[in-house]
Amino acid sequence: MTTSDPLTGNSVSGPFSGFGLGLRRTHYQDFLEGDVAVDFVEVISENYMVEGGNPLRILEQVRAKMPVIMHGVSMSIGSADGLDRDYLKKLKQLADRIDPLWVSDHLCWTRTSAHNSHDLLPLPYTHEALDLVCDNIDHAQNTLGRSMLFENPSSYMTFPEDEMTEWEFIAAMSMRTGCYLLLDVNNIYVSAHNHGFSAEAFLNGLPLDRVRQVHLAGHTDGEIKIDTHDQPVCDGVWDLYAKAMRKLGPVATMIERDDSIPPLPELLEELDMAAKIAERSRELEPA
Amino acid sequence: MIAAQTLTLAEKQQEFMAQVLDDERALPDGWTPRHAAGMDIYRNAYRARLVDAVRDTYERTAKWVGEDAYRQAAAHHVITHPPKSWTLDHAADGFPETLRELFTNNPEVAELGWLEWAMHQAFVAADAEPMDAAKFGEVAASFAEEDWASMRLTFLPGTEQLPITHDIGKLWRALGDEQAETPEFTLEQPLHCIVWREGFKPVFMQVEQHEGHALEMMRGGASYGEMCETLIEILGEERAVAEAGAILGRWLHNGLIASVEK
Repeated sequence: MTTSDPLTGNSVSGPFSGFGLGLRRTHYQDFLEGDVAVDFVEVISENYMVEGGNPLRILEQVRAKMPVIMHGVSMSIGSADGLDRDYLKKLKQLADRIDPLWVSDHLCWTRTSAHNSHDLLPLPYTHEALDLVCDNIDHAQNTLGRSMLFENPSSYMTFPEDEMTEWEFIAAMSMRTGCYLLLDVNNIYVSAHNHGFSAEAFLNGLPLDRVRQVHLAGHTDGEIKIDTHDQPVCDGVWDLYAKAMRKLGPVATMIERDDSIPPLPELLEELDMAAKIAERSRELEPA
Repeated sequence: MIAAQTLTLAEKQQEFMAQVLDDERALPDGWTPRHAAGMDIYRNAYRARLVDAVRDTYERTAKWVGEDAYRQAAAHHVITHPPKSWTLDHAADGFPETLRELFTNNPEVAELGWLEWAMHQAFVAADAEPMDAAKFGEVAASFAEEDWASMRLTFLPGTEQLPITHDIGKLWRALGDEQAETPEFTLEQPLHCIVWREGFKPVFMQVEQHEGHALEMMRGGASYGEMCETLIEILGEERAVAEAGAILGRWLHNGLIASVEK
């Protein structure tokens, strides 16, 4: 049985769950010609926020086969200059056209009114920033006419003026706006290492009933770990995923790979690993 | 410098962005070497992402000039044209002009860059059905004689054109085919390159200058009659009459025309 709303799970089957992959250009033919064994695909929204042409046609063909999640990188929900009206308009047009399971973006900022970094820049976790982010989320959700998911970012610095932890900020943000959460386990792992906090404290501090999707990805090791999405998920992230899945109900999980993208079977093997870990974790008592 | 605690979030973000854009900028008060290390990661990611984004559009141009020269040109472009738009695609806008400034002794580089930019624009342009000769015939059947002179055309979204002095079509194909030998790419006389989309595939053709002028005029809103007058000035009356019809036929045959109004 399918749910009437994949986010709220207002039916006996609960919120949408399953295992998916990012739809990347190098795998277009696999998805168009074969029956790829995934429950959903996630697309980078901005790649399809175009006037027309082949990318949109392919997305519509894939959408006819399976559910699609729209995952954005440019909403800049933490921008003190507010949200870009043109961006929101085009995002809504795409969402109306594709009818995705849900629309997500990152808890970060990317732009000022003068420049766009095209990078997920860190926010100071202050009350001022929280008020601003909540206002922007309200604006985005009202414009789109749907609740959104926001992802915890990887970050490489914190600010002297921080007034709360990242997880306290996210919990307050979700409570005040009603938005759902996209839990990126790799990002927790990377940021925990970079800033010296406990990944488990992060998990324990989140309102886990608001999590609707999990991201898994690889990163680059170093004194400061970098979220590069260019290699397989590491053991430490798998362990943290297992812990998270003991605490979470059924949620959608996907592998994110954006660079050094391997052939599809290799990613499907990784996804199978995630499914096995999730299954084993659910058999255990909640942590 | 003012301490971060007294700045508004907007001011902090402006300062952070300035740090990302400028390697030489002094760090804000209260930032430690650990903050500097974190900022280095954001700066490197910013540059690398934009240089890669430009390459996505200008793949053949990068191959033509070589990796080192490409990286220098793209880095220069990113510094002189920091992106403003939410779409990464726009980071590549204006790169042909940057190439024109940087490769003054190799003007084919900017022309090849323009072709790649135009092909990329056509790739994601709005979908539209071209008008074929039969449909045009149906519309034209209702024309009175004076309607031909006032006829105006609209062209498929994504249609672009540029005067060229090098055979960039030959370069485009050679660089796409991984040909080892550099093709002869000089032109005996300047031409125009026209880019449009056939179905979902961007395509181009190189045409004589007068046809390029004609397209430029009509894309700018000129009437068919005005276009014919210009052709007469360029070609003389006898040749212009024949060529005006031939040009219209070619545009219809190639699927450049979206609609016609009298």
